[in-house]
Amino acid sequence: MVTLNHYLIVSGMLFAIGLTGVIARRSILVIYMCLELMLSAANLTLVAFSRFHLVDGLPDYNAQALVFFTITVAAAEVAVGLAIIVALFRAKHSVDVEAAGKLKG
Amino acid sequence: MSTLSLEVFLGALALVLLLVETFVTVPRKLIACAAIGGLLVALVALFFCAKDAVPPGLVEFYKVDSLALFYKGLALVSTIAVLVIALEYAPVINQFVAADPEKTKEAGLGEFFALPLIVCVGLMVMASAVDLITIFVSLELTTVSFYVLVAYMRRSASSLEAGVKYLILGALSTGLLVYGMAWLYGLTGQMTLAGISDKITHWQGSTAPLLFAVALILAGIGFKVAAVPFQIWVPDVYQGAPTPVTAFLSVGSKASGFIVLSRVVTMLLAKDSAIAPQTEQMLLIIAGATILFGNLAAIAQTNFKRLLGYSSISHAGYLLLALACTHTGALGFTPSEIVAFYLATYLPMTFICFLVLAAGRAQGINEDIAFFRGLARTSPVLGFSLTLALASLAGLPLTAGFMGKFFVFFSATLEGNYASLLIAIIGAAAGFYYYFKVILAIHSVPEEKLPAIRLSALSQTLLAILVAAIIVIGVYPDAVRNLLVK
Repeated sequence: MVTLNHYLIVSGMLFAIGLTGVIARRSILVIYMCLELMLSAANLTLVAFSRFHLVDGLPDYNAQALVFFTITVAAAEVAVGLAIIVALFRAKHSVDVEAAGKLKG
Repeated sequence: MSTLSLEVFLGALALVLLLVETFVTVPRKLIACAAIGGLLVALVALFFCAKDAVPPGLVEFYKVDSLALFYKGLALVSTIAVLVIALEYAPVINQFVAADPEKTKEAGLGEFFALPLIVCVGLMVMASAVDLITIFVSLELTTVSFYVLVAYMRRSASSLEAGVKYLILGALSTGLLVYGMAWLYGLTGQMTLAGISDKITHWQGSTAPLLFAVALILAGIGFKVAAVPFQIWVPDVYQGAPTPVTAFLSVGSKASGFIVLSRVVTMLLAKDSAIAPQTEQMLLIIAGATILFGNLAAIAQTNFKRLLGYSSISHAGYLLLALACTHTGALGFTPSEIVAFYLATYLPMTFICFLVLAAGRAQGINEDIAFFRGLARTSPVLGFSLTLALASLAGLPLTAGFMGKFFVFFSATLEGNYASLLIAIIGAAAGFYYYFKVILAIHSVPEEKLPAIRLSALSQTLLAILVAAIIVIGVYPDAVRNLLVK
């Protein structure tokens, strides 16, 4: 029997992997993928909580509404984000974090 | 009239302007003027908007109290100011967007004038958001628009770099925020702040998971308001972004972060809340660290824009200190109202600094403090305004900044948060040092004669209004209070 805890452990692991990737990886594209992983972890958490929180015998759809918004926002973020990363690549011919390390102080 | 119609109007106006920009060849300045006109209409209409006039189906998600109306006004005023500064800054945008700036004088300006309207819609909705979904969507509307605006000068290495940094850290904060919201929802089974507040006051069992969710949400919003330890993006992004966008980030984005934070923190610190003491501790520690970091790191700066970035961090610290109080009224203000008042004083002084910076940059004066030496001689009016703005940022009596700091310090005293108060006083003292360093440069004798900075009539009007606002609020703070507590 798969319980709520199983879902929460999986989503927690996804979130941790994403966060570690953002901190540890050097390529901006991989960092961006890890960020998407974090959003997916949040979505999985929301759906799991919604499924196990029954209102009148049905899952609570409030949380699932937020999932749809998260997916949409993530799509918008990717569209804008990739455009910026492409512009960076054109200027520096690299998507390594080193390419964006001039401003300091 | 409902304020929602204003937001729909401004959103529609932004889309129309984007279409006009694409399909009709009009002078780009007209687009900016149309946007400013629309915002002015909305600002006037805001005074006729009744409190609590919300369409029936939206009551759970959207609240129009006096605080929401005040923040909507702040959003409108700051967007107008940003557009005026953007007009002043237009040559620089053109230089770094167009492939051949000499031939296409107006390339890339249209979107730059239309996008702030979309940000403004996000800020205005955020002022009313009382539900996790509404908060999330409006926050993201502004953040995604800001990604575009920060990286707008795509042929400028520093603007691109600022854009990438803002993108990565902004997306990270979104991830933390949504994950925190998911947990908060899971623990309470509620999506509205009112429902969550109700559950928290009758909390049974361990508070650890609740604190985990709250910490994630505070981290997510902490990014937007530039609180330590989530402030790392601020100096770089402030320095690299186009100056009007920096001004917008520093005032608009901060204000909207703080209205959300006000609503969340008021809920968490409510009487009988199960996690009030821990939340207060968390806020006080973050506030102290933010004040210390912002002020001490600012001392060594030589770039004026970067200095303002650190100054913006330190002001976020004072605002957090005000929020960490639970009293119900110091001198007739609740903590949320003190934050709103402080932001209203912060608006004119910050915009003056960025207006001078933008106009100077467009006329070939660099952003280093050294380049502002002798400004008071070459452009006496600008020199005076900038001196006033910096004195106000430092908190000199009889300026707006003093009143803001006074209320924050007073409410911290009332609460007995003496340790934080001490840190705040140290921070304010450091502030005097680095702000007056710039003032000294403005009034010193330059080694070589600088060209005078000229302003357009529109910018001169804006400057006059901002200077008047600093003096009026400093002498007669009730002017803002009457708007806030109506």
